[in-house]
Amino acid sequence: LKDLKYADSHEWVKVEGNSATIGITDHAQDHLGDVVYVELPEAGTEVTQGDSFGAVESVKATSDINSPISGKVVEVNSKLNESPGLVNASPYENGWIIKVEIATSDELNNLMDSEKYSKFCEEEDAKH
Amino acid sequence: MRVPRTIEIRKMGNLFNYSDALKLQEKLASDRKMNKITDTLLSLQHPPTYTLGKRRTDHNILVPECELKSMGAELHYTQRGGDVTFHGPRQAILYPIISLREFGLGARKYVENLELTMIELASLYGVKASVGRKCETGVWVGERKIGAIGVRISSGITSHGLAFNIDPDLSYFKHIVPCGIADKEVTSLQREVKQEVLLPSDELIQDQLISCFAKIFGYTNVVSRNNS
Repeated sequence: LKDLKYADSHEWVKVEGNSATIGITDHAQDHLGDVVYVELPEAGTEVTQGDSFGAVESVKATSDINSPISGKVVEVNSKLNESPGLVNASPYENGWIIKVEIATSDELNNLMDSEKYSKFCEEEDAKH
Repeated sequence: MRVPRTIEIRKMGNLFNYSDALKLQEKLASDRKMNKITDTLLSLQHPPTYTLGKRRTDHNILVPECELKSMGAELHYTQRGGDVTFHGPRQAILYPIISLREFGLGARKYVENLELTMIELASLYGVKASVGRKCETGVWVGERKIGAIGVRISSGITSHGLAFNIDPDLSYFKHIVPCGIADKEVTSLQREVKQEVLLPSDELIQDQLISCFAKIFGYTNVVSRNNS
């Protein structure tokens, strides 16, 4: 979890060379409730940092998922079609959502590291 | 110290067309995202309308679409969560367009607050409503559903919302499997109040629903907008 980067919309990205895996964080899945459906993009779709690429449904709410980086979708986790609950049970491993070929690694500078993200979550939760 | 929070109420009348409502919500959500407007709450009723959520569960509509049309109802596919439902006259609808990030609320807590809003309103009339079992989001009186929820959250901004049955024509629900739950009834406030309780006008009840919402979400400042 320490070598992941985080967006303020609670998605994580794990970069390995030119390729990145993306999912939602444990904080996100906890605040969503039980995920019953995941809307996945098609391989080949372009994604843009900060823009929506899919959605999850939980407790009668559909929530958009935003991409932490720009690039092209090369693989989607089709297991989520049968088992959307993987997002709750294993948000950083089996619940990964898409894999992307990165457009530019400069964008990673816009994201938070693990420590900053933890603090961000604390501040958000303190709001209510 | 309480952070001052403002919500602007827009009353859209009792026959607000569903497509018009969708367009308006899209515009408001976009404006809210760019901070051009404050949190906003639409209060309205729809003409007879069936709607589906993102999962497009149209297997839960029991008659062909042309038959719905001949009943004078429209059918809409939407991006909200939830299954199939019916909206119509005498059903109070609230569509909050609010920024959840400013509240630090997630989907689960937001939906819980929508449920509490309807539970609180029902209690004003002596009706004991409660949340459903797991996976049965909504508001129930015993085994009968009195309020439904279907929400969309995009960039932390909400749209769609809740529907509370004051006294709609419940026979419209016979043509669907409401919310995908087959063996449960739909009910209304009129059906659940004690015999001696006389319901006031829908307008008053809708105002009370708005107050319950504002209280549960902690809005300190409730502003009305004269409008259409």
